[in-house]
Amino acid sequence: MMELLAAIFSAAFLATVIRTSTPLLLATLGGLIADLSGALNVALEGQMLIGCLTGVLVSVVAPWWVGVLAAIVAGALLGGVMAFFALRMKADIILVGFAINIFASGGTVFALTLATGGDKGTSINLPSKSIPPVDLSFLSDIPGIGPVLTAILSGHSLLSWFAGFLVFAIWYFLYRTPWGLWLRGVGEYPAAPEAAGIPVGKVRLYSLLVSGALAGLAGAQLAMFNYIGFTRDMTAGRGFIALGAVLLGARHPVGAMLAAILFGAFDGLTVVLPGLFAWVPPEIIHMIPFIVTILALVLFSYRAQRLIALRGAR
Amino acid sequence: MSLTGTSLKPQSRWTMARREIGRAVTAAVIALAVTFIVVLFTSKAPIDAFTTLLTAPAQKVRTIGLWIDDAAKLTITGLAFSLVFQARQFSMGVQGQVYVGGIAAAYVAVSPIGETWLGLPLGILAAMAAGAVYGFLPGLAKAKLGANEIVSSLMLNYIAIDLCNYLVRVSLAPQGSGLLETVRFPKTSVFPALVANTRIDVGTIFAIAAVLIVWFALYRTSWGLKLRLVGHNARFAEYAGIKSSFIMVSAMTAAGALGGLLGSMFVQGQSFMKLTVLFEGGFAFEGILVAIVARSRPMAVPFVALAYGYLRQGAQLMNIRTDVPAEVIGVVTAIIILLVSSSFSLPDRRTIMRWLGRGADRAPAAAAAVAEGSGK
Repeated sequence: MMELLAAIFSAAFLATVIRTSTPLLLATLGGLIADLSGALNVALEGQMLIGCLTGVLVSVVAPWWVGVLAAIVAGALLGGVMAFFALRMKADIILVGFAINIFASGGTVFALTLATGGDKGTSINLPSKSIPPVDLSFLSDIPGIGPVLTAILSGHSLLSWFAGFLVFAIWYFLYRTPWGLWLRGVGEYPAAPEAAGIPVGKVRLYSLLVSGALAGLAGAQLAMFNYIGFTRDMTAGRGFIALGAVLLGARHPVGAMLAAILFGAFDGLTVVLPGLFAWVPPEIIHMIPFIVTILALVLFSYRAQRLIALRGAR
Repeated sequence: MSLTGTSLKPQSRWTMARREIGRAVTAAVIALAVTFIVVLFTSKAPIDAFTTLLTAPAQKVRTIGLWIDDAAKLTITGLAFSLVFQARQFSMGVQGQVYVGGIAAAYVAVSPIGETWLGLPLGILAAMAAGAVYGFLPGLAKAKLGANEIVSSLMLNYIAIDLCNYLVRVSLAPQGSGLLETVRFPKTSVFPALVANTRIDVGTIFAIAAVLIVWFALYRTSWGLKLRLVGHNARFAEYAGIKSSFIMVSAMTAAGALGGLLGSMFVQGQSFMKLTVLFEGGFAFEGILVAIVARSRPMAVPFVALAYGYLRQGAQLMNIRTDVPAEVIGVVTAIIILLVSSSFSLPDRRTIMRWLGRGADRAPAAAAAVAEGSGK
């Protein structure tokens, strides 16, 4: 037990958590934007997966940042497809989302096979690039806590810092700008903004585009930093966990960040545990993030229901 | 567009069926056309590949067997999704139910009971019970706590896959073999084949029986009426004195039992006759397509399953015989779901008239009726 505590509170583990949380956080923010506009984006998983593959394939022939941009564009395109079918063609958005997920899990393997010339599992033979880490080793010069700070904060993906910035930016957008108010209004009670002359459909379209773009970015981080290269179904439920994180985070950017870090920490545990407890079966360790998501969801729903009961509403 | 395709205006059953079939066929043609373009650009022998996709499954007795077996399984997963969709729940847990069902059936089959005549019925019952429990959990969490059933059922899927990997490795596979599968089940625990040397087995009969039972339950019992009412308008059903949470949970549990049955059909059927890790391979989710195209109508499910199973099998054969990977079928599936679940519709008579440059007002009453029918 002591070894576990020591491992959890070590600087190396905190650094791992930052790494595993980043794709979750980006996807959670994407889910948040869509959810607040009243459109549940269950396609995060598929958008992430396609973002992964796009980033990897594009970065084989182009600089890393072009790969990242391409992943963003791919995610946004899928968001656009969702918006077209859900808003214009009046399809149920959950079904549209699952269609995108099915398309992603089949389509990525199909494209991977073509790109690698027959390998259906991984892109290991393709020389894809990675997102450069941000070197903050100068922090070591600070006396006392310097080396610890370096161990925790240095060497993270550029996108980790960007994701942290996005939490603030999205908070500012949602709660300090008129467009953020529009977006929340559209999700809360569409008839009212409609009557006020706010283009409800357009607001939802843009939020789905942004949501897809963020999921694509999450995919880029996953396949161009956390792992280098694409493997079949590499998102492994992270998009769905992000969906849970949106609900757990009380539909607020800061809450979303905390939830993403919580799930990221348990994801990080799956990296650390095998080395510490060889007797715990790897399959059980692999289950942990999913079990935690369910438990968190159930506890949160229980709390939310108690709150409603206390207020005597409904 | 509603999931069940019921419009407010009572229409003749055949008119509706004809419209739905037309929409589904058009969607399939569009999806195949898109796929053809993709294949055209990526394959060295696109015509060969496409011919294989469209004709190969019906050419040999063996491949017909594969097709029918696929269709039977698609029918069950389609029914499971139809049940929850009719209640307007988006429980996506069929995959997890298949795994726990398969595990339960495997435990019965490798135990001493598996070698007696009890092996088959007990295996199926154990699988259905395990699946039902697995379907019940997200239903309970939703009814009691309001926990989103999409997220919880998806998480349970991943947990079930890991559970299956673990149990197969540690307890079900022969000790020390290092294999990730069980031994072949004894004959008494395997579904007897209906047609020798094919995969057509008793599972096909179960699929047909399940269609009839689900149809009866939905359209000839008060439970089914309540379930459909909850699906149409949960608040109205609540005012009418229906306990909508009970209906939701029971629908998800019944769908779970179907998922468990599918698990037993996988591992005890002629196709596997043993439990292996990852035996399902994402199959369960294809029930979404079947349910949507069938408009969640149990009677339509087997026909959709037959048609889609044909394409699926064609894709597998194309994968083996040509240079086009089977995963291209994911594109077809996605496009069909997108088109059929949206308000995309066949051009009605008025639109065609307009295209032909004729007056649109020749039969205003009829045109209005058509517009109302297709606009919902």
